[in-house]
Amino acid sequence: MDRLDERHIGLEVGDTITAKVRRFTPGEEPRYDTFRVPYEKWMRVLDVLIYITEELDSDLSYRWYCGSKMCGSCAMRVNGRETLACWAAAEPDMTIEPLRNLPVLRDLTVDRKPYEQRFLALEPWIHRANPYPGFPEPLTHREMRFASRALDCISCAACYSACPVVGLGDVTNFSGPAPLVQIGQAALDPRDSHDRWQHLIREASIFSCVSCYRCEEVCPASIPIVSRVIEPLKALAYRTAPEKPRHPHVFLDIVRRRGRIDPSELVLRVQGLRALLGLGRIKALLVARKVAPWKTLFGKPIRGIRHVRRLFEKIS
Amino acid sequence: MKLAYYPGCSAQSTCKELNASTHLVAHKLGLDLVEYRSATCTGSREIRAVQPELFLALNARILAMAERDGLTLMTICNTCTLNFLDVIQMLGEDREALSRVNDALAAEGLRYEGTAQVKHFLWVLHEDIGEAELRRLVKRPLTGLDIGAFYGCHITRPPGHYGFYDSRNNRALEKLNEVLGANSIDYSGRVECCGFHTAAGEETVAIKLVGKHLKDAKDHGADAIVTPCPLCHTVLDTFQPDMEKDTGARLGLPIVHLPQLVGLALGLSPAELQMDRHVVGLGDAVRRKVIPIAAA
Repeated sequence: MDRLDERHIGLEVGDTITAKVRRFTPGEEPRYDTFRVPYEKWMRVLDVLIYITEELDSDLSYRWYCGSKMCGSCAMRVNGRETLACWAAAEPDMTIEPLRNLPVLRDLTVDRKPYEQRFLALEPWIHRANPYPGFPEPLTHREMRFASRALDCISCAACYSACPVVGLGDVTNFSGPAPLVQIGQAALDPRDSHDRWQHLIREASIFSCVSCYRCEEVCPASIPIVSRVIEPLKALAYRTAPEKPRHPHVFLDIVRRRGRIDPSELVLRVQGLRALLGLGRIKALLVARKVAPWKTLFGKPIRGIRHVRRLFEKIS
Repeated sequence: MKLAYYPGCSAQSTCKELNASTHLVAHKLGLDLVEYRSATCTGSREIRAVQPELFLALNARILAMAERDGLTLMTICNTCTLNFLDVIQMLGEDREALSRVNDALAAEGLRYEGTAQVKHFLWVLHEDIGEAELRRLVKRPLTGLDIGAFYGCHITRPPGHYGFYDSRNNRALEKLNEVLGANSIDYSGRVECCGFHTAAGEETVAIKLVGKHLKDAKDHGADAIVTPCPLCHTVLDTFQPDMEKDTGARLGLPIVHLPQLVGLALGLSPAELQMDRHVVGLGDAVRRKVIPIAAA
């Protein structure tokens, strides 16, 4: 399904592509303009936009440079999904919109500054404790297995647009996936000796990631952002922070003691007394028998817990 | 058909009704479930991230039990399913980690070979029971019931895991609705995130992520939402009163676990499926459309 010819099924040379494009000029109301473009063989979304500017409306604003999935400047949303215009096949009916979570300058062109400021604050470069020893440096594939994936990033900000937590604005301080991939290029490199936990926990609020994999779904460089970048960074932050992040710390303790999670204990210990303030909810949970205070207080661990505790001792 | 069965933590605590209805429905479907009482949590997103080696060992331990018995392991939680699948892949690619994990499991007489098979109940329905048999077993088609599917993330992402191009192509729940006689509605939340994994610390994110989608489902005429994941269920059901406050919209959308929906169509009653163990009640629409069917 990822091949261009397969995605073009249903389109024949000479067919008409209908492209609904979101237009915006500062000081005016945003609107959608519909353009009809004749389909040419192997046509990409970028080709449709080029046709529009050359033949229909030279005023349309969008960015592109390399046209070959390298520079990361033509990221936009096609039919609600982030993609590179230079890589996405034209479809018979397309709604083309700018990236989300960044201010729109004009039409499909967004202001990348908020994203760039965010990742620059994380110091995404290698801090060396020891001077450069000269080429070649002794590095193995295993040591570089996470950083090398992060280094595939073309900084297109598609994932920054797709992230639902970034989309909530100030509800959290989460930096979003793209800045974490940028810091991962340095922090997951074995030569980096910088103490990163402050950047990761305080600046990037990394534990606010909900692990929804939206970022991985849209990444044009196919980086496993959650499992090969964000999770190794969470492990680094957890290992090096002087005070353990509360949620994973309590979670580990409950599984070690009980074998399984008791959600009431988890919430009470992570949130503290604040968890008891919502009396309405507590009553609803009790009525629906969603919580069992007796079991939380006196519940027994699972069968075979001694084997589980030995695993914890042996491995952690 | 005999299957190893892993209910996970939620179905044994906040969503006991899910565990109970899975057993009832499995019986109706002719599935013989072997449940491992000594199975731990799979590590959710927390142990998975901060103690990766322990995460491998906890999952390999459960997979090894299923291998020992020569059974496919059936799951009913999205996050557990993805954890098992990822551990199978990770240990398949890393022989050193595999041997360290097996050293640790040896004391319990367990060994993970890499042959384990994991299947969410949704896939057991589609692949092992099959459409024809399911249609035959439906006693009370859910005619007239408009249902929104809430897939949750970990049964449909990351890309490349589940055999379709991306999450937009996933139609497993809509197909099932049709087999059970119900209508599927389209709405904004089908493959969106419920925000469960940070909700133990800060539930505002979950409330804000989901509220707008439940409102959209309501606006598109949903009578109920079905989900294959107890974590999504917990957010959609127990935080729904907060979402009503946040969106200012009256929602009152009953959230139904996948086995409960199948159970209703197979003739089980809402009481047998313990649908009173939800914060949001069944609702007028479901009561009007389903209870008369179930009581027939």
